[in-house]
Parts: sequence; structure tokens; C-alpha cells
Amino acid sequence: MEHIVFGIGITALTGALATVAGAAEDTESNIGSQGDPNSQVQLAPQMGFLHRIFNKAVAGEPPAYGLWCALGAGLAWAFMAMQTNPVLAIVLGCVLATFVQGVYATTAYVGRTASLAKFGQPVYVDILKSMTTVTMAHAFIAIFCTVTLCHLINAALGHPFPLPLLGLIWGIALGAAGSATGNPYYGKERQYQNQKFGAGVPISASGNIVRYAEAGERNSIDNGWFTAKIGGSASGICFGLIVFLELWRTIVFEAINPWYAIIVGVLMILIFTVVDRYIEVWARKNYGPYTVAKEADA
Amino acid sequence: MSAVAAKPQAGGAMNPTAMGVGVVMLLILLGICWYISPVAGLSVLIGVIIGGVLIGFGTHFVPVGGAPAAMGQAPGIATGVAMLAAGAGLAGLFGGAWAAEQGVVVAVITGGVGGGLMMAITCMMVNFVYVFGMGIPSASGKVAKDPITGDTQAEYKSQGTEGHGLPFVSFVGGVIGGILGGAGGTLIYVELLGLYEQALPGVMNVTAAQVMPIAVSAAGMFAVGLFLVNAVLTAYNITGTIEGPHDPKFKRWPRSIVASAVASALCGLVAVLLVVPLPI
Repeated sequence: MEHIVFGIGITALTGALATVAGAAEDTESNIGSQGDPNSQVQLAPQMGFLHRIFNKAVAGEPPAYGLWCALGAGLAWAFMAMQTNPVLAIVLGCVLATFVQGVYATTAYVGRTASLAKFGQPVYVDILKSMTTVTMAHAFIAIFCTVTLCHLINAALGHPFPLPLLGLIWGIALGAAGSATGNPYYGKERQYQNQKFGAGVPISASGNIVRYAEAGERNSIDNGWFTAKIGGSASGICFGLIVFLELWRTIVFEAINPWYAIIVGVLMILIFTVVDRYIEVWARKNYGPYTVAKEADA
Repeated sequence: MSAVAAKPQAGGAMNPTAMGVGVVMLLILLGICWYISPVAGLSVLIGVIIGGVLIGFGTHFVPVGGAPAAMGQAPGIATGVAMLAAGAGLAGLFGGAWAAEQGVVVAVITGGVGGGLMMAITCMMVNFVYVFGMGIPSASGKVAKDPITGDTQAEYKSQGTEGHGLPFVSFVGGVIGGILGGAGGTLIYVELLGLYEQALPGVMNVTAAQVMPIAVSAAGMFAVGLFLVNAVLTAYNITGTIEGPHDPKFKRWPRSIVASAVASALCGLVAVLLVVPLPI
């Protein structure tokens, strides 16, 4: 019984860490335009819309976070093998991984933006200096929380995978959850704030991203501030739910009978299916169709 | 419909010769494994191939919209095919590896449920953001009615887009994809772990307890690697985006199955050769 109570406490802690990691990951990727909306940041100068948006996307979020979290976890594991205190080892590992993220962000921004020289897009050194450090700070939070939850899963809950492999797996899952949930909010709601609310961006408007703020030109810190409100928190809830529920059903029910954990997992899937259907029907009823059905059939 | 109209799109055309070559390559790889290790190695390789095929087939179900989905221009989840499938499948592998001691059946089902749960949460949150964050209802661009609920789709598409969000059929497809991916990844892990636990103590001349961390790590790395191989291969087959099982691109799955089987057989053979000495 004590073992299960201890496990539930660790599970709650990992869920909280995952929630913070998800929110930081999405905000970091939005400041760096790393998710799918990077295509519009790259397209805009080609359509004649020069901008001061940071763009460090040369890999998708899942492989990038897989790399950084595996790197942070691997270095922390190496420090721990050298008898370093686990807290210090994790911090040192994550700091080194964050420097790799900083190098990646710098070379990616310079490389991507330099390729737009023929369209007149400048490489802004002040953008490079101010944005890179902000993405590094957010990346550190995301990597630190993920590596810490991996260490807890390995050391306290007894998962058989070594720490670097857990870092890779949960890093990829973090990037997948964060990009899936957060990308639409940055891509549609922020980059195309000049389009109508409550509708997708018409394909004809591609590339015409919002480039001006209340005063002066918009930069990516403005985008991080805006998307942290819904995109970031939704990504955090998404990743937090994934980690917490996966661990909770295993810790509580697998000790009693492995099939109970499976049945509880299936029940959770069914509950989320019902919630999803409710959201879909709610939107159809409350927002209504864009055109009348007869027109659509024609 | 005329013969010309019935011709499949160029990207979806099946090439019988290429598929035949693939099957021959698969048989050759199985034959090599049978020659090297007729009992243990061959059964493990067959398990790895089945796991790889499950991953490849499951990836077709995952609704991925890529960059257009991030602007609400196309339905699906706004990320890459391989990335999302890998995220879900690896979350399943995580759970399956934990249950590996309970036997193959429990571990594989646990892995499948873990992958399905990850996708169910992710798909639900995607719709949550579309509906409550952006005020956009779900609409498919590929079918007039949702095949499961019967909801009409065309009038819910906003002007100038191909649809947006995740209609219910896409949600169900995502969960099925996560289940198949998680189960396939776990099957590969469990098969390789069993082989390594048996063979590594003899190869390295150490006790079974000492070899466990190495066996778990090696089997885990191969499972992750094979997952990425199969997910990326399938992403090429899908060519960018897919809405789910109702999308016409879904019909391309036989081609991907053959490719996944051959790639898994080659990678699996390397994994087996790590511990089985060549008979020379």
C-alpha cells in the first residue's frame, strides 16, 4: 500500500512537471517559429512582406526535443555515474543541452534568413541577440522538467529504460503533443490576426502575416506572450494529461492486476472520445454552418 | 466510369513489379536468418516484421494536416506524419516495456492502449483549441459526410479552405493509429529483449542479472529506431498529409506494408546478428 501511495505522489509530481514542460515547449517553439507555421514566416518575404519574426525551424519540434531531452538526460546520467548529486547532474546536463539548442537556433535563423536575401529580407542581428536567449530560457525549462520527470520515472518508479532512452522517448512525445496542440493557435490566431475570427485562413492569404504591433514592428517575443495564454497552456495540459494518466493507470492498477490497467486505459480512451464528440457537436450547434447546406451540395 | 477516369492518381499507383521485388527481398532476408539461426533468430525476426508492419499500417490512420492545418486551411493535426506517429507509438512503447515481464500478450496490449490514450488526449486537445481557442468547427475536405456520425461536412468548411479541425472519423483514426503503433513498437521490443536476455550472457560471458541493463537498452534502442524507420517510410507513402481512414490516400497502404516488411526484416536481421554468431 505504501508503495502505491508513494507511486501516486511521484505520478502527481511528474504530471505537474509535464504540464510546465508542455507550456514552455510550445511557447519556445512559437517564439522561434519552429512548428508548422514557420512555412508562413519563410513564405512572407517571398510574397513581398518583409518582417522581423524569428525563424529557427530546420527540424520539427518532436525530433528537436527528442535530441535536446536525450542530450540533457544522457549528460545528467553521465554526471550521476561520476557520483554527482542527481539534482546538480540534471541541472548541468540540461544547461549543456540548452547551449546546443542555442547553437541550433542561431545557425538555423541565420541560415534560413540568409536564404531569403534575394527577396530583400535582412538578417537582423538585434533579433538574433534578443530572441535566441529567450528561446534558450524557455527551452531550459522544458528540457529540465522533462529530464527530471524521466529521472523520477526511472529512479523512483522503476521503469526499466535507462535515462537517455527515456529522455528521447518523452522528448519526442513532448514535441508531438506541443506541436499538435499549439501550432494552430500560433499559425492561425496570431500570425493571421488580420483575418476573420472563427474561420480558417483562406489559401489566397498565405504569406500575408501580421508584421506590425501596437508600436513599431512585431517581433517574436510578442508572439510568445500572445500564444502562452491559450496555445501554451493547452499544450501543457495535453502533455501533462498524457504523462499523468499513463503513469497513474500503471502505478495504481498494474500492481493489482495488469488487465485492470488495460481496462482503465480503454475506459479513459472512451471518455476522451465522448468529450471530443461533445466538443465537436457543441461547435456545430453554437457556431453554425458557414453556408447553407443547399449551396454546399450544389 | 471510364477506364481513364478509374485510373488511380499517379502518387497512389501500385507498382506490381516493385512490390514483387519487395516480397522477394523479404524472402531472401528471412532465408538468411533461417540459415544463421533457424529457431530463435527466425521467430524473433518474424515478430519484428509483424511489429514493423503494424507501425506502418497504423501510421496511415493518423490524421496529419501539416502546415496547412496550422493555418486552419486543411483538416488534421498540425504536425508531421512521422513525428506524431512516433510520439504516440513511443508513449505506447514506454508503457509496454513496463509490462514486458507480464508476457507478450499483456505487454503488447498495454503498449497499444498507451499509444491510443496518447492520441485520444492529443486529438481531443486539438479540437479543444480549434473550437474554444479559435472558434472554428471541424470539417473534412475529403468526404461529404462523416462515415461514422453521418454529419454533413461541406457547409462547415470556411471560405477558401479545404476544411479544418478533426472530424469524428479522424479522431477515431488517430486512436486506432496510436493503438497499432504502440502495439507494434512493443512487440519489437519484447521479441528483441527475449533474444538478448537469452543470448547475451553467453556472448559476453557474464551472468543474466549483469546483462539485463544492456539487453533492455539495446532492445529499446532498436525498437525506437525501427519505429522511426517505419513511420518515415509511411510518411513518404502518404506524401505529406492525410485525414484518416476515409482519405483516398489511405488506399495506398498495401505498398507501405511491403516496404515496412522489407525494411523491418533488414533492420531486424542486423539486430539478430548482434548476438547470433555467423556459422562460418
